[in-house]
Amino acid sequence: MFGETMSPQAAALIVFLMEMISAIISVLVGYYASKAYKTSSVKGLLFLYLGFIILGLGIFLRTVTATYFVIVNRVTEIVPSSLVGLSNVAGIVFSLTQIVAYSLFVATYVYQSKGIGEQGLGLGGISAIAVFPVARLFYIPTLEIIAITMLGFVMLSTLVNWLHRRTLSSALVYLGFGLMFFSHILYLFMIFNEGLLFFGQLSQLAGFVCLLLMLARVNRAND
Amino acid sequence: MIREHKEYRSKTRIYADILDAILRRGGKSGPTHILLGANLSYDRLMKHLGQLVELDLICEESGNGDKVFKLTDKGRKFIIEFVKVEKFAEAFGITI
Repeated sequence: MFGETMSPQAAALIVFLMEMISAIISVLVGYYASKAYKTSSVKGLLFLYLGFIILGLGIFLRTVTATYFVIVNRVTEIVPSSLVGLSNVAGIVFSLTQIVAYSLFVATYVYQSKGIGEQGLGLGGISAIAVFPVARLFYIPTLEIIAITMLGFVMLSTLVNWLHRRTLSSALVYLGFGLMFFSHILYLFMIFNEGLLFFGQLSQLAGFVCLLLMLARVNRAND
Repeated sequence: MIREHKEYRSKTRIYADILDAILRRGGKSGPTHILLGANLSYDRLMKHLGQLVELDLICEESGNGDKVFKLTDKGRKFIIEFVKVEKFAEAFGITI
């Protein structure tokens, strides 16, 4: 759909921009949850606050680090082995921060006792390899499966909440987590097609935009 | 809007219910109407009203020998904020 006109560099830039926006929205939702926790002292809101802040910081750090690696790769063309090792460690750390964040989301609902392209992107052969091996280092299939399991639980809990309340806000939260869940499915299949990174990022961003819309809606209430 | 009462309520919820009961009476109400609106026993109500006065969320006025409680600006802001917090929490399925 993007044809052969988009260069790998442009694709990488778009991916990083989407990550940054997702990180900002995540921190925003976390900040609002912290305000809500200070007002109500409800533990579930504390878990949400910590979860979204950790998730946002993790995504932000991953974006910054990945940008650094891509720049080094572009400048040197041959990535030093020490940097490859470091990026492997960074990938594990970032995946673990996501796991921690999703664990906190799971804890929110457990505490509440609720039973709850490759060709299409037009990537050139050698140029794509210059970018996506870096991306591959940040997405570890095993940890993605754990993330998917946790997000699956959270998604189902928010689905139950939406079916119970039938409000637009609860629908947006369900959609938000659903799209994040779907993004991790796409990341998992990156081992077969690295172009899925772009669509995974798009899905993740769409999920965060849904949460932002929910925030805007809640803030407008009674204004 | 403040939701219906349930068996166990947190302190914040009780405060919000009391303030909402006063707000629904035009921002000023006597203990009897607050009692009915907030669904509390008299002793608990008086205890919480004292705390709300200390927090400057309501103020006490005496007229014709009757005690009347009036919502302060801070109290109004608290209710607005609480409603937003409640809607935010409910969107995630969290009960306050």
